[in-house]
Amino acid sequence: MSNAAESRQSSEERLFLSIAVVAVLILGLGYLGLMLALNHREKAPGVPGPTDEAVALTPDHARQLVDFSLTDRTGRTVTRADLAGQFLVVDFLFTSCSLTCPVVNRHMAQIQQLTTNQPDVKLLSLTVDPRDDTTAVLAQYGLKFAADTNRWWLLTGDKSVLYHLIGTSFLNADLDDPFTYMPGNFSHTERIALVDGRGNVRAYFDGLSENVAAAVVTQIGRLRQ
Amino acid sequence: MKAWSYLGALLLALAGVVAAPAGEIKTYAAHGLVQGIADDRRAVTIHHDAIPGYMMGMTMEFPVKDTNDLAGIAAGDEINFTLAVSETDSWVQNVRLLAHHVSEVTSNTFVFHSDSVELHPGDLLPDGTLRSESGGTLRFSDFHGQAVAFTFFFTRCPLPDYCMRMNRNFAAARQILLSDTHAPTNWQFLSISFDPEFDQPEVLASYAQLYRGEESRHWLFAAVFRDTLRDLAPRLDLMVVHQGDAISHNLRTVVIDPRGRITSQFDGNAWTPEQLADALRQAAQTTHP
Repeated sequence: MSNAAESRQSSEERLFLSIAVVAVLILGLGYLGLMLALNHREKAPGVPGPTDEAVALTPDHARQLVDFSLTDRTGRTVTRADLAGQFLVVDFLFTSCSLTCPVVNRHMAQIQQLTTNQPDVKLLSLTVDPRDDTTAVLAQYGLKFAADTNRWWLLTGDKSVLYHLIGTSFLNADLDDPFTYMPGNFSHTERIALVDGRGNVRAYFDGLSENVAAAVVTQIGRLRQ
Repeated sequence: MKAWSYLGALLLALAGVVAAPAGEIKTYAAHGLVQGIADDRRAVTIHHDAIPGYMMGMTMEFPVKDTNDLAGIAAGDEINFTLAVSETDSWVQNVRLLAHHVSEVTSNTFVFHSDSVELHPGDLLPDGTLRSESGGTLRFSDFHGQAVAFTFFFTRCPLPDYCMRMNRNFAAARQILLSDTHAPTNWQFLSISFDPEFDQPEVLASYAQLYRGEESRHWLFAAVFRDTLRDLAPRLDLMVVHQGDAISHNLRTVVIDPRGRITSQFDGNAWTPEQLADALRQAAQTTHP
């Protein structure tokens, strides 16, 4: 084989190689693009993905913190007057609840941490099961979430007082399924509520959402403006 | 609401007489939610907090002298305002908007009288229907003449200190009574699933064997029917929250006497088989006047 033939062959080879490289690149990019698009589509519409902000829902009607007198886990009496002028982040629990409550309270712990330098932000956990959730039981439960006794109150007390507070100030009593039931028929007990310094309920958040803590803190910032 | 308005007006009149000497106008800082505004905008109904030194919190209608005071204000708004009181008159002035349309306006007060809803020792347990592990229908009244201890569980419960402990305690208490030759014999244990869809009779029967062995004497497993759970849960303070295949719930164990009256209730999981056996012994020997 002559040199000229050799060099012609190798330039053909080079051309073929270049085309192959470009083709692989185009295919590769195309595949990557397709994968990205598919990945994006995997999120069902309307279902917030892990990076979406948890939405602040407005109460469906005027709700204000009613007067109450309850007992926190240290045995202290806590009334509405004790909480005046503070932002309150409120959740609902029963300590034998094994599914949603631990998740919601883990998020409450995150909110506690994110607001350590905001002394006017307090956290409030209201039990819906006062027969089981005595102050001693709530004290144990608070330890699980490193709840600060000066900033995060876990309240129990007379069931009529608790339910009057929960039902009037926070949750609707419209559950109608005996297989998803708690006394009082409260729905959306997985929610976290935000109360302003004047006692108005300003927003609800899905307490199970991964980024609910950031959303609550953002909303408090907005209300300060 | 009307009555409150009259009472409020009376209080205002009294306060006017007592607090304001002739010609003097007293003013009080106040805060509330606007419930409604009269068509001529000369009156506003406010759900207001206690007005320190003057009156308690209530919902009432106040006159407005200068309709400009209500400019830009609508029902649902949160306001600060001044209540002015003269010898003969009272009115709202100096209205400052705090937040627009905080929410829809309704008066909703949730009242729950736990004492009238929940059953206590001495109360008669209402009858209810269950589907037994053998597929038949059971009623609480079928056990008339026997003391019954019943609790709630579901077979898919994964937690050793919840449902499983209830049935382990039942097994131990049953053993105590079976081996006590002086014990009465009119007693019965009943484990009730609140997961009837999954806990079909055959599921219950094989689960029962784990705790009870082949011998079903004095201990039956059953699943609750929807209407019975609807009726019983509030009375027993029972919480059941189905989420997918799992159930969050609290623990309620109840002992009734041979006539169906509740003699004792064990909340939670801290009670012992000995305590339950004792409660059942006592209930079995209850005699009614």
